[in-house]
Amino acid sequence: MNMTRRLLAGMGLAALAAAQLRAQDGRQQITMPFRDPSMPRKLVVEGGTGSLTIRGYQGQDAIIEYTGREIPGANGRGRSGRNEPPAGMHRIGGSRGLDITEESNTVRVNSQNIFGGTARDMVIQVPAQTSVNVKTMFGGSMTIENISGDIEAENFNGQVTINNASGSVVAHSMNGKILVSLDRVAADKSMSFSTFNGDVDVTLPADTKARFKMRTDFGEIYTDFDVKMEANAAPVVEESKDKSGKSRRRVRVDGTQTGTINGGGPEMQFTTFNGRILIHKK
Amino acid sequence: MTCDQARTQMLGGGEGKDFAEHLESCESCRNEVSRIGTLWQSLDLLPMEEPSGQVRERFYEMLGAYRQGLASAEPRRAFQWWQMAAAAALVVVGLGIGYGVREDKSRPELVQLREEVASMRQLVALSLMQQQSASDRLRGVSWSYQVEPSDEEVMNALVTTVNHDPSVNVRLAAVDALRPFTGSPATHVMARNAVIQALPKQTTPIVQVALIDFLAELKERNAAPELRRLVSDPDIDSGVRKRAEWALERMQ
Repeated sequence: MNMTRRLLAGMGLAALAAAQLRAQDGRQQITMPFRDPSMPRKLVVEGGTGSLTIRGYQGQDAIIEYTGREIPGANGRGRSGRNEPPAGMHRIGGSRGLDITEESNTVRVNSQNIFGGTARDMVIQVPAQTSVNVKTMFGGSMTIENISGDIEAENFNGQVTINNASGSVVAHSMNGKILVSLDRVAADKSMSFSTFNGDVDVTLPADTKARFKMRTDFGEIYTDFDVKMEANAAPVVEESKDKSGKSRRRVRVDGTQTGTINGGGPEMQFTTFNGRILIHKK
Repeated sequence: MTCDQARTQMLGGGEGKDFAEHLESCESCRNEVSRIGTLWQSLDLLPMEEPSGQVRERFYEMLGAYRQGLASAEPRRAFQWWQMAAAAALVVVGLGIGYGVREDKSRPELVQLREEVASMRQLVALSLMQQQSASDRLRGVSWSYQVEPSDEEVMNALVTTVNHDPSVNVRLAAVDALRPFTGSPATHVMARNAVIQALPKQTTPIVQVALIDFLAELKERNAAPELRRLVSDPDIDSGVRKRAEWALERMQ
């Protein structure tokens, strides 16, 4: 499709006028513009082997910056040192399995490098008003900040941190914590936060209207919101003060609990198997 | 004039000699005409739903995106934008009618309206579950709680979501939303089978646990072989294996 701008990083194919490739101190930078700045933008990131940061900024383009680093102990294992330089030589290029495309105002970053001995730490900057959809299987921690739009994030092993977001968030981690702070909540959006082995820690604006659905199998649920619990199991609410003297309410019940804040609104689901649920008022 | 021909004219108001003659001779068409008349009158009584300020903005956003979709000559994408516009319009109409119905439950002609609302809710739930954004699909799953639990179409959409949705959180919400369907005489057999069949397809621990809990709650013995397989598979997460063991004990 001739509309697709396709760019294979690291293979010297940076021939497109729109894209620039720079390398300094082992750090690579690629700029990929969104075709129509007046239209809704979307960033999709798949794969990845290191940490990933996505940050909203005041510009118009997607700027992808990455550095490769050795995974300690990974060399010599697996594919007979395929990624180790031969004696006396050093690496100047080759396939890094990074594929970046732009189509219909969606920038797609596909990072597949699961067999190599290097991890790729990546920082992607996009205009603040961009929807973000990230999914990694083998990556480390994931951070998304200053984004205004719909955020979807799934991580396998690391923590998912989302800061200064406004709009909606749907986030899952298998083995990490979910740490989310929203400055503004889109009025009619459903949200969901889940992890199998970690805490779900979400901060919402004080005036958020929502209906909470909360479930933890081996943890507790804490909040400083005034939650009006719906009756299906009698909740036990305890008042306590933490170290700084701030009062905390503790809601202790079994199974899925539902309750509303500020009169109720769209559904927000909080789920963890082996962790606590913390819902803070901003 | 046949009844079928008369019915096509009814929606347009129904004029002409043939139509009038047919009505005189056919009681069921007369009833139909008066039913439609009452429906229109009831609709007139409904308060107008004021659209929020964002509706205009969103409409132009969607229109722009639709044009862009056409420009890139990708019918698939353009169709999805169209669906989103249709879903948004249905939400507005559905909400408006929903508020009207809630205000006055005593009037018999509004029973009909309630039926219309039920099919509208079904449409909203089904079209939202098709959207690209996970947040919209979650809303579709929430809407499914408002349809009758005998609604097979919505149940099948939920099952598809449990088995194929790319977002873990949407799959998780859809598992919960299947619960009402296991309590309805019309759908409980299908719903139970769907939950049994969904378990081997899942690889995400949190969704596996949700399905296992569900099967334990239903005391679904037919799921025992699959639960035993999970317990003895070393590749399965240890938390999931313990849960499957617990579920097997609970079913005894």
